[in-house]
Amino acid sequence: MDLTLITELAQSGVTAEVAQEYGRKGMKAIALGIGAGLGTIGPGIGVGYIFGKVIESVTRQPEMKDEITSIQWLGFALTEAIVFYAFIFGLIAFFLG
Amino acid sequence: MRARLLAPAAALALALAAPSSALALNINEEFKPQNEFKLTPWISIEIFGIDMSINKAVFYVLAASVLACVTLIWVARRMQMKPNRVQAIVEVYYGLVDSITRGNVPQEMIRRWFPFMAALFLFLWFSNMIGYLPLPTNTEHMVTILGIEVPSLALYAATANISVPLALTLVVVISYHIEGVRAKGPVSYVKGWVPAGVSGAAAVPIFFIEVISQFVRIISLSVRLFANILAGHLLILFMGGGLVILLNLAIIGSVVLGLVTGVLAVAFYIFEVGLVATLQAFIFTTLSAIYLGGAVAEEH
Repeated sequence: MDLTLITELAQSGVTAEVAQEYGRKGMKAIALGIGAGLGTIGPGIGVGYIFGKVIESVTRQPEMKDEITSIQWLGFALTEAIVFYAFIFGLIAFFLG
Repeated sequence: MRARLLAPAAALALALAAPSSALALNINEEFKPQNEFKLTPWISIEIFGIDMSINKAVFYVLAASVLACVTLIWVARRMQMKPNRVQAIVEVYYGLVDSITRGNVPQEMIRRWFPFMAALFLFLWFSNMIGYLPLPTNTEHMVTILGIEVPSLALYAATANISVPLALTLVVVISYHIEGVRAKGPVSYVKGWVPAGVSGAAAVPIFFIEVISQFVRIISLSVRLFANILAGHLLILFMGGGLVILLNLAIIGSVVLGLVTGVLAVAFYIFEVGLVATLQAFIFTTLSAIYLGGAVAEEH
């Protein structure tokens, strides 16, 4: 938003309710951003850990590669989904809050 | 090297030289991204006060099931010793579901549960995949082509709506409970939730945790699929132009932002089609098989 908005607001005599409404909207957007962003930290570490461990185990036992690969995708999808739990609950808070 | 650096530097210089209004936020209030997922009834049906209208979600569910049936019937009619391309793909799919079922469900139940798992996988795969094809289903915005009003192209998937994954999850959960009760009897099935080796007073809190985890399974299984597909669609929507329209920058800001997000949109699209669509169908089927196997297993 432009800085001129502040002077416009001052001149147009915006009521406290309107200003409050904008504040509420802004806070909800910030909350969604922070919540969804924080929610990505844990799964990010988790996904990295899974792939690191996969590389480690495949280099240690290359003959187990096929079995490890199928478990790897299971672990990846289970961990990755946690990002979206944060995101969905953020969206619920955003639209219903 | 210098030529490679020149292009982004020129774009940056243009963005900096642009009038300050190029970067000023002026949010476009008319564009509502959530409307992309809004279900407008095509044919209104109301039974006993429950809204049963035909809308685009219904269309996507039907399309996915019809595609799944047609593919398998088509291949089954034309089985050859030397597989053609479609048959080869279907054989890969068959082998995948076979390994999922064989790895998690006890031997004597494979015959009964393989068809369910295979149908589940194929239906989910098709409904995820057709979600990434732009189809003329957006009746919110009509476009006139050659004098005919046509719905504009839209991305939507049946699995990007919580109802479809939730219904499938409930089918899975109820059926594995029934199988568990059938295999062990109601009392020892419920007792079997407590892990082996836990006895005495410690079993009571563990039992309650297990009861809660049975309910959490419903949420996690359905929300995992739903949220993955929904977030993928939102990412593609925002990167493929939604962000540019929403932020409503001046022309140079829009061009720079559009170029950056457009490249990202292609990357996300490839990621979603190449990995997430298949992976989520695979995960849903695998977890269903694991839950089913866990419910009937002798030792928990």
